[in-house]
Amino acid sequence: MAEISQQGASGAAPVSLAAMFAAFFRLGVTSFGGGTAAWLYRAMVQRRHWIDDQAYLAAVGLSRVVPGSAGVNLTVQVGQRLQGGRGAIVAVLGLLSGPLFIVIGLAAGFAHIAGSSMAHAFLDGVAGAAIGLTFATGLVLVPRGRAQIGQLMITIATVISVGVLRWPMLPVILCLAPVGIGLALLRPGHG
Amino acid sequence: MPGDWRSLLALILVFGPLSLFSIGGGASLLAEIEHQAVAVHHWTTHREFADLFAISRAAPGPGTMLSTLIGWKVAGWGGALTATIALYLPSSLLVFGVSRVWGRWRGSLWHGAIEQGLAPIAAGLVLAGGLAVLQAAGGAAVWTAAAVATVILLRWPKLNPLILFGISGVLFAIAALFGHI
Repeated sequence: MAEISQQGASGAAPVSLAAMFAAFFRLGVTSFGGGTAAWLYRAMVQRRHWIDDQAYLAAVGLSRVVPGSAGVNLTVQVGQRLQGGRGAIVAVLGLLSGPLFIVIGLAAGFAHIAGSSMAHAFLDGVAGAAIGLTFATGLVLVPRGRAQIGQLMITIATVISVGVLRWPMLPVILCLAPVGIGLALLRPGHG
Repeated sequence: MPGDWRSLLALILVFGPLSLFSIGGGASLLAEIEHQAVAVHHWTTHREFADLFAISRAAPGPGTMLSTLIGWKVAGWGGALTATIALYLPSSLLVFGVSRVWGRWRGSLWHGAIEQGLAPIAAGLVLAGGLAVLQAAGGAAVWTAAAVATVILLRWPKLNPLILFGISGVLFAIAALFGHI
């Protein structure tokens, strides 16, 4: 199976653009809850053997550092490995087109019943639970432990400035990013 | 119609730069998108923003389709496409360009430092996004639902969140039926 994934990139057994579009379309409409990276691993590495474990892990590492959705960034890299620039474009279009129609379909459907107080209440309930999902995700990521006290301060500063004081996000990131990277560089035993 | 290109341009100017600042994924943009859509551009009311947020979370897809919905609200299908492309194109081009160089950096000092240094900011931005939507959605019931859902999802991380969304939505609808919300 490893040789298939290698061949796919080198062109001996190229994956067609149509097959890529179909595979990523399926990935897009079935990855609920933001777990695209995990679904992509199952679909592209384990099931289709289009790329191998090592290539996947390298792509995941980069997709976390470069800004943007990790799922879209991963898709760009897998598409690029399989078919270069055209592959990247087709894979991203496949990934995003399904969710785009679904989400607009839901919104258009809701607009028809927007007058109903029950529909509004239903969405309030969904929003509340979805905010809970956001908090749960963020809380898992909060730095903990004595060695991480500086990192924890950065997280708290971000929450207060962006979430409570509602300062614009871009200057806040530009001020805090050098501090965070500096702290990581200063950590004993780093590297 | 004459104002159409202007709203499309505004969507590009809002979502394009955000694309390059969404560290740790789309959720980190939530607070800023709320600020831009409600306070700066008046594209949605607080109420509408909370609705669009709920719909975007109930749909499948990678990261946030919230930008798509705001684009759709502002300028129909053209707006939806424009906002989606504006949010995803710059970061995609960046990852496309960087991916070759990055492999050579693997294991270097900077590689780890950037990854670790941005992580605490990303965590803060996600939490700030939750707070921003809470302020937009308002209402003690929504705060309560958010708190309960947070506790449940921390306790059972494998639980499919869609189930929780559905239960919470139905409970709210029933409460509305009996005039409690």
